[in-house]
Amino acid sequence: MTITPSIRQDAATLSARLPSLVIAARKVAQTVRHGVHGRRRAGSGETFWQFRPFVSGEPSSRVDWRRSAREAHAFVREREWEAAHTVWIWFDRSASMRFGSSLSRTTKIDRAAMLALAFADLCVRGGERAGLLGLTRPLASQGVIERFAEAIATDERLHGASEAGLPPPAPAPSRSMTLLVGDFLCEPERTEQAMRAISAEGAIGELVLIVDPIEEVYPFSGNVEFLHPAGADRLVSPRAQNLRDAYLGRLAAHRDALRRICGRLGWGMSLHRTDASAAEVLLSLRVRLSTPEFGETRSA
Amino acid sequence: MFGLPLAFAAPAVLAALVGLAALYFLLRVTPPRPRQALFPPLRLLIGLDPKDTEPARTPWPILALRLAIGALIILAMAGPLWNSLAGLAGSGPLLVLIDDGWAAAPAFEKRIDYARQRMEGAARAGRAVAVKPLSQGAEAIAPLDMAEIEGRLRSLAPVPYAPARETALPAIQQFLAKEPKAEILWIADGVELGGASGFAARLQALTRSVEVVTDGAGARAIAGIDNEAGALAVRLSRSDRLAPAKGTVRALDAQGREVGRAPFDFGETLLTEARFDLPVEVRNDISRVVIDGERSAGATWLVDERSRRRRVAIASGASADVAQPLLAPNYYLKRALEPFADVSEWRDSSSDPIVSLLAEKPSVLALADMSVAPGPERDAILQFLDQGGVLLRFAGTRLAAGDDDLTPSELRRGGRLLGGALSWETPKHIAPFEAGSPFFGLAAPDEVTVSRQVLAEPDAALANKVWARLGDGTPLVTAGPRGKGLIVLFHVTADTTWSNLPLSGLFVDMLRRIVAKAGAPAAAADRKPGERAASLAPWRTLSGFGVLGPPPAQAEPIGDDFTGIGDALHPPGFYGAQESLSAVNALGQGQALARADYGALTVREGALAIAPPIDLRRWLLPAALIGLMIDALISAWLAGAAVFRRRGAVAALAFAAAVCAVSAPPSSWAAGPAGPHDMDAALSARLAYVVTGDPAVDETSKEGLIGLTRVLASRTSAELAEPIAVNPARDELAFYPLIYWPIVAGQSQPQAEARTRIAAYMKNGGTVVFDTRDALISHPGGAPTEEARWLRALLAGVDVPELEPVPRDHVLTKTFYLLDRIVGRTAIGQTWIEALPPADPNDKGRPARAGDGVSPIIIASDDLAAAWASDAGGASLYPLIPGGARQRELALRSGINLVMYTLTGNYKADQVHAKDIIERLTR
Repeated sequence: MTITPSIRQDAATLSARLPSLVIAARKVAQTVRHGVHGRRRAGSGETFWQFRPFVSGEPSSRVDWRRSAREAHAFVREREWEAAHTVWIWFDRSASMRFGSSLSRTTKIDRAAMLALAFADLCVRGGERAGLLGLTRPLASQGVIERFAEAIATDERLHGASEAGLPPPAPAPSRSMTLLVGDFLCEPERTEQAMRAISAEGAIGELVLIVDPIEEVYPFSGNVEFLHPAGADRLVSPRAQNLRDAYLGRLAAHRDALRRICGRLGWGMSLHRTDASAAEVLLSLRVRLSTPEFGETRSA
Repeated sequence: MFGLPLAFAAPAVLAALVGLAALYFLLRVTPPRPRQALFPPLRLLIGLDPKDTEPARTPWPILALRLAIGALIILAMAGPLWNSLAGLAGSGPLLVLIDDGWAAAPAFEKRIDYARQRMEGAARAGRAVAVKPLSQGAEAIAPLDMAEIEGRLRSLAPVPYAPARETALPAIQQFLAKEPKAEILWIADGVELGGASGFAARLQALTRSVEVVTDGAGARAIAGIDNEAGALAVRLSRSDRLAPAKGTVRALDAQGREVGRAPFDFGETLLTEARFDLPVEVRNDISRVVIDGERSAGATWLVDERSRRRRVAIASGASADVAQPLLAPNYYLKRALEPFADVSEWRDSSSDPIVSLLAEKPSVLALADMSVAPGPERDAILQFLDQGGVLLRFAGTRLAAGDDDLTPSELRRGGRLLGGALSWETPKHIAPFEAGSPFFGLAAPDEVTVSRQVLAEPDAALANKVWARLGDGTPLVTAGPRGKGLIVLFHVTADTTWSNLPLSGLFVDMLRRIVAKAGAPAAAADRKPGERAASLAPWRTLSGFGVLGPPPAQAEPIGDDFTGIGDALHPPGFYGAQESLSAVNALGQGQALARADYGALTVREGALAIAPPIDLRRWLLPAALIGLMIDALISAWLAGAAVFRRRGAVAALAFAAAVCAVSAPPSSWAAGPAGPHDMDAALSARLAYVVTGDPAVDETSKEGLIGLTRVLASRTSAELAEPIAVNPARDELAFYPLIYWPIVAGQSQPQAEARTRIAAYMKNGGTVVFDTRDALISHPGGAPTEEARWLRALLAGVDVPELEPVPRDHVLTKTFYLLDRIVGRTAIGQTWIEALPPADPNDKGRPARAGDGVSPIIIASDDLAAAWASDAGGASLYPLIPGGARQRELALRSGINLVMYTLTGNYKADQVHAKDIIERLTR
């Protein structure tokens, strides 16, 4: 229903809770990796890929003499294709996300951060590079979660808590994937603009809507004064229960609008309630990452 | 107000109730704050058209609650008093007459309370009030204002006599002349004594609006005692059949110790009798008889020498084998003396009659016609006289013939004896008794005639010695002192041969007065006739409550022939020198009390028993406070802060509980200091005091023990830690060598577990010093004080050893300092300690005695802690009584001895053997 200022204060300093989020993210990423992957990944990403017979016309420097010495033919040592797929990740850190109701055990921003970090880890371990949109370059190192956390903490330290409800409108490189996590409660048109800007060069992406249960349940009645977490707006409703049906209608319409936008742009969209398991949404994201449309870009 | 027994101290404040209407409208349009809810999808809500635009109203339960809170506060500010008297309205000035004779004493506080409430009620209603105690008859009546009422009523005390109410009439008339509309309230005692009926009639004639309030129980009093042969009979009288019929009379000796108890039962009558069946020696010790539980001067009968029963020994010169024993002088004497004295006769013919009779220690030795020859007999009689005995002699042929000097004056002897030589025409009558004679006041009946007598030698001193004369002026009874004693001579025989005096009632009365003289100092006897009766200054007089105390300033001496009852100038009490006191009582011997007849006046009986007014503020304000809290909780709930609601509710409930606890009247055993401090207590020895719940007493105990600990540390090697407060119901007591327990009678008794803990503590070697602090108000042998009763109730379930006042050789008085007694803030109280085993006769020279261990209980009454209490500079915090640095020093020494006693036990008593032990060791 409502949250006390103290919890909002907690949420405002995300960096303070990053260590625990890091652990939680790693844990959930581990779960998902073991569920889908983990079959043939040992040794992947090594430079060696295969030996193939030397084709005349090639530079002789490519010949792997050690291998060729054992047989009559000359062999060329082929290396793995180095250009990994890039995943850009962004999550909403605005005031609206720093909200958690009594129906859920966590705030939206915590869940969003956890998902983002866990997904980054998942991607890196899957061989891709992951970067925080606007904060880091794509990374492929094992410690991606810590690096991301550091980046967020630095950003918060330098610029304060982010109030941007939408990702920066910079185009992502083509053939990269973008994961946007947030509540996207602003007008669908603005969301569409942002998405279009990102996918201007052909990048596709995934939208994850983080929803607090109270936003779907709307358990209010009586004389209620609604406040926006950012403190900008307020609405006094003497009989809040009368607004319920209209609100739920609007909410459905809003989501429909988002879904349509995603459909137009070829993005995927999923809904995640903070009272549901984080692993669930991570799993579905991972599955979507392995679907054919991404699969062709995968290195493996 | 509104027919309810409800009064307001400030009724004007009630006008503020009108403001509640304004409050209603104000509250209605200002609804409680809406619940605040953070809601991220607020954008979706904005623009939704709420179908209802009606502004929110305050819900009616909240409205009602808030109006109720407002009303409660306004009512509380108006100072409501729930007072059963408030309903008794009236107009015009109120004059309260209070009967303050001794008959009003038993319920005097109730009367004063009643007067206070009526007067304060009237004063609040703006009526002029005045009070008139009827014993202060002549004083003019002045109206009192509100502030003076309390002080004036507090200054009233019952007087020990029955004041004549008529004397107050002029003052009342004067008052009524000034205030014709005055209403009179007479708080009467219901006893006729002092002219109640006549006063009522006169009062009725003065004004119409008189209201008489009595407690409906009348009074009970002792109307004399009769020291009879076998028992002391106490005559009791009550004024009303409603007075309690059954009760006990107690006989007390001069020190106030109880000599005996006797029950009485009025049944349906107004008069009854109680009898003390006690040996005569014990009976003679009785100096007061009181009705148990009846506090009034009338319920106390003072017994002086005159009503003591004397032992009279009778010896006769006649031979033992008198032919006609019923005509022998012994027989007349015996019959005349028996009603008021114990008569012993000489029976054993083998021994010397007088010596053997005197060996029985009689007060009076009556010799009927016997001459005393020099020899052991005479020596014995002289010794008897020297010790203050009364020798009562009767004339007769043997005396006339004999030659002894044991007579008040020289007698004419030898051949000049009367009888035949003096021939009267007619037998002589007795002349009326002169004022200086002890017989003064007795009627000299005409039928008593004297036909023969012995004559005294005329002599200048003779006139002073004559107690009774015949019509012709010749002495009939003469008396003269000898040593400390007195010789009384009847110039006639004790039988009827010379006169018929022994047959008359006068003879008995004369003998009674003579016997009453026995033991009285001889000085009274040699008074010159015609001299004004010696005046006896008041020694101790009774207060209206029947307590003996120093006489008031206006008390005047009585003559030694005073026979009346006590009045304003001669309050009941003991008069004269301490060794020969004369008693004046509030009632005459045999006087009966009667119920007052108030005529046509309105009488409300038993109306005095009223409940004290209840200040409703103490309930209204907490109720308003609780209402406010409920309102705050509801508002908070409506405002809907989820987490706040939980924490806030808990906090509010806790606060409410705290407020309730504070506003509730202090419950039985107020909580002591928090937490068990056993750990601390066990680490170092320290004194402890019991928390009584009375903050002043607890503070005194603390200060006292701190002061004592300080002195102990500076003078002795007992360096104790800071004293500690204990609650026997909760705390472990085993750590403390000594627990000081001041008794506060007002507090309720501790629970049963406290009692078992105390018992266990005492069993296990601890010492509890109970301090009743009542040395000033208790009088030995009197009714136990509140504190003493409280202590008895406390110790009812505890195995208390036999106690005795601290003997002088008790080791307690020797442990550190050599003390005579335990002294505290007062120095008159008795300190009790476990009785020591009887002294070993072989151990004569031993200066200190002790039992096997330390006494588990010491009961002091001198308010020890207050005497010990001192500030850091050693200055006393409380004034001592009578005071002085010496007493304070003695009090501290008493405290040091107490602590040393508990710490060292009987060590000091054993130390008397130190010499022997050292001797043995060096051998």
